[in-house]
This record gives sequence, structure tokens and C-alpha cells, in this order.
Amino acid sequence: MTIEEARFILCAYRPNGSDAGLPAFGDALRMAAADPAVGEWFARSRAFDAAVAGRLRQIEPPAGLREAILAGARASGQQRSLGRGWAWAAGMAAAAALAFVVFSMKTPARPEPGAASFAAFAISDMANAKHGGRGVPAGALVAALEANGARMPGPGQIDFDSLKETGCRTISFAGRDVLEVCFSRDGALFHLYVARREGPPGDSADNGASFISEAAGAAAVWSDSRFDYAVASKAGVEAIRRLL
Amino acid sequence: MTSESFTQLVDAHYAPLYRFALSLARNGSDAGDLVQQTFFIWATKGHGIRELSKAKSWLFTTLYREFLRGRRRDARSTSLEELPPGENEPLAHDVDRVSRIDSAAVMSALHSVEEPFRAPLSLFYIEDMSYQEIADALDVPIGTVMSRLSRGKAQLRAAFLRAETPVAKVLPFPGEGGARAS
Repeated sequence: MTIEEARFILCAYRPNGSDAGLPAFGDALRMAAADPAVGEWFARSRAFDAAVAGRLRQIEPPAGLREAILAGARASGQQRSLGRGWAWAAGMAAAAALAFVVFSMKTPARPEPGAASFAAFAISDMANAKHGGRGVPAGALVAALEANGARMPGPGQIDFDSLKETGCRTISFAGRDVLEVCFSRDGALFHLYVARREGPPGDSADNGASFISEAAGAAAVWSDSRFDYAVASKAGVEAIRRLL
Repeated sequence: MTSESFTQLVDAHYAPLYRFALSLARNGSDAGDLVQQTFFIWATKGHGIRELSKAKSWLFTTLYREFLRGRRRDARSTSLEELPPGENEPLAHDVDRVSRIDSAAVMSALHSVEEPFRAPLSLFYIEDMSYQEIADALDVPIGTVMSRLSRGKAQLRAAFLRAETPVAKVLPFPGEGGARAS
């Protein structure tokens, strides 16, 4: 084995020493022990690797990623339960044995995975998080949402940057900023979540709303050309449907 | 898998998976999506992995495949055969450089390593995987893993050097009352 071959192999040697017993490194390690130049190079290499690894492991995932993963998994579990078709789900609901229902305003189909995750995220945030925001734009949005008979806002009514910059509550879902405001209608409390769409304009936009109902509450999700929306409430699906 | 087991799986692996995804995707938003998609596949496929010891490898492999699947093929990318051999000479001040900068700067340097080398390097550093585990996760031969680790480390050291070069060119202003850098 040449010095270059030894160095090549030792590049794959983990700095914590856990590869010490592996035969693949035997000859190279013996050369590092016998040849001071190789030994010195190996010590520097391990110190460099340990320093890089230590720094990289300090990086923390964004807040909310864990919750978004768990919420998405819950939603996928719901989707699997609907895999046998709407009639099966409806029958189960009629038998009062179904803990949740997923359906769409347009068709009795399940929501796409991303929408289901977003809905589950909204329900989880509504039920578990502290809410509150500030700013004139957020106040104006809440006032508009609380007006009797008002429809949910469209893309022209959401100034995402202005809302975020002036203190509207902003949370993270799958690495995306999500605005949230609370509003009341007919005595019930609702939470509107708005995230910028990531697909190209018009890509599956203007989808009809899909609904998820869980023990903790219900949510509707839909999209337009610019944003993904979710409304969550403990008042149930029918109360949300009346908003849309 | 029960909900509790799934939560334990997420808690055990989502952070290192995010770091790996961040090293590949080079931005936090895409990295978060990759991690979510990976666990979503686990949850929806209801796969037959019963041994949780194998789950880690499955998760990293799946995330890497999802990254490759979603990546746009860059026509300008250089084939591996065209790349120069790595320079295996870590100097003492390489360690000093790393010690002086924060984790974000180290990740930024890692981002400049070309993707074929970056993936094995990330698994080596972030998840402390052995060369055999990396070979399994990325589905490449062991010799290829060793070669890519060697070249990847050379590129990483070069990135640290490049990052430091502009600072090194700033010379102190001579004499009293000279301008100070802020």
C-alpha cells in the first residue's frame, strides 16, 4: 500500500474512531501508526472532520417542522381510511364508527396529500398553539372576515408581505411562511391560514375546497392562483362551509 | 405502526434528515418539504419495515431519491470523469478556519461542493454513517463512496479557503488615527 492509497482509504474513516475494527482500514491504520508523516496527516484530517461534523450538527430544523410532519401523517392516515371510496366512508360515518370525514365540495374525493397536510396543520395549530397578532392590515383583514355574509378573501385581498411585516401572526409549515388571523362569525371562532402557493400560477389553482374533520376540530383547504388557504374551527364542517 | 411509534421515529430522525436535506437542496424551504415528503411516504405506504434499526437507512435513502426525482437535470453539470482529483492535504489552519466560523457558514461551504460529492459527505458528517452505510443509502459501490468522500473533502477545504480569501485581502490601515474596519 502506498501513502496515497492509505490517505485515500483513511478519508472514509469516521473521526469518532468507530471504524477502528474494520478490516478495510487495517493496513491504512498500520501505515498511519508506522509513518510519522501519514500519522500527522491523519490526525489533521480527523480534527478537520470532527470540527466540520460538530458545526453541521448544530443546525436546528425550523420551528414547526416536527409538528407539520406529524400532522401530515395524521392526514395520510385519514386518507388511507378513505381509500375504499366515499360510500364506504359515508357508511362508516352513519354507523357512528368513523372518527373523521374527508370530502370535497366539488366531488366526494379525498384532498391531495399537500392539502390534507395543510388542513391537519391548521387544525393542530388551532387546537394547540397560542394565537395573537397585530398590525393595521391584520386588523382590516379580520374586520372584513367578520362582516356578515362576507366571503373568504381572494388573491387581490391579501397583501402577504404587508401583513407579515406589520405583525400579523406568522408561523411555518413545511418551510413556508403561513399567516394566521382569528375571526368570529355567528358566535363561532375561526382561524384563517394563508400561505403562498409554490407551484406555477394556475397550477391546480382555484381548486374547490376540501374538508377534514377531526376530534379537535374541522378545516377547509382550497387554493387560488396565488395562495393556499385553510380555515379551521371547532364549530365543525357545516359552520366552515357557510363561510365559503 | 402505532401513532406513538411514528412520533418516536420522527423525533429520532427528523433533525438529521433536515440537515441532510438542507445540504442537498441548499435552502430551508425545499429541505423542509423533502423531510415532510419522506415521512409522508413512510406513513402512506405502510411499508413492511418492522425493524426500526433499518428505518434510518430507509429514510435517508428515500429522501435522497426524492431529491434526485425532483431535481431538474442541469445540462451544464460536469460529469464525474471530468473532475480533477482531490487534494488530500488538510492543513492545520483548515481546522482553525472551521473553528472560527458558525454552523451556517460551514453549511454554506458544504453547499458549494458538487452534488455527487455533497451527498456522501453530508451523510458522513451529519449522520456519522460508515462508508458501507453511505453506499447502501445512496446505492453506489463502496469504492465510489471512498472516492467521493476524498474529492468532496478537497472541495470543502477549497470552499473554506475561498470564503476566507476576501477577508485576508483587507489590510489594516497603517498609523494612528487610521480608519478602522467595523
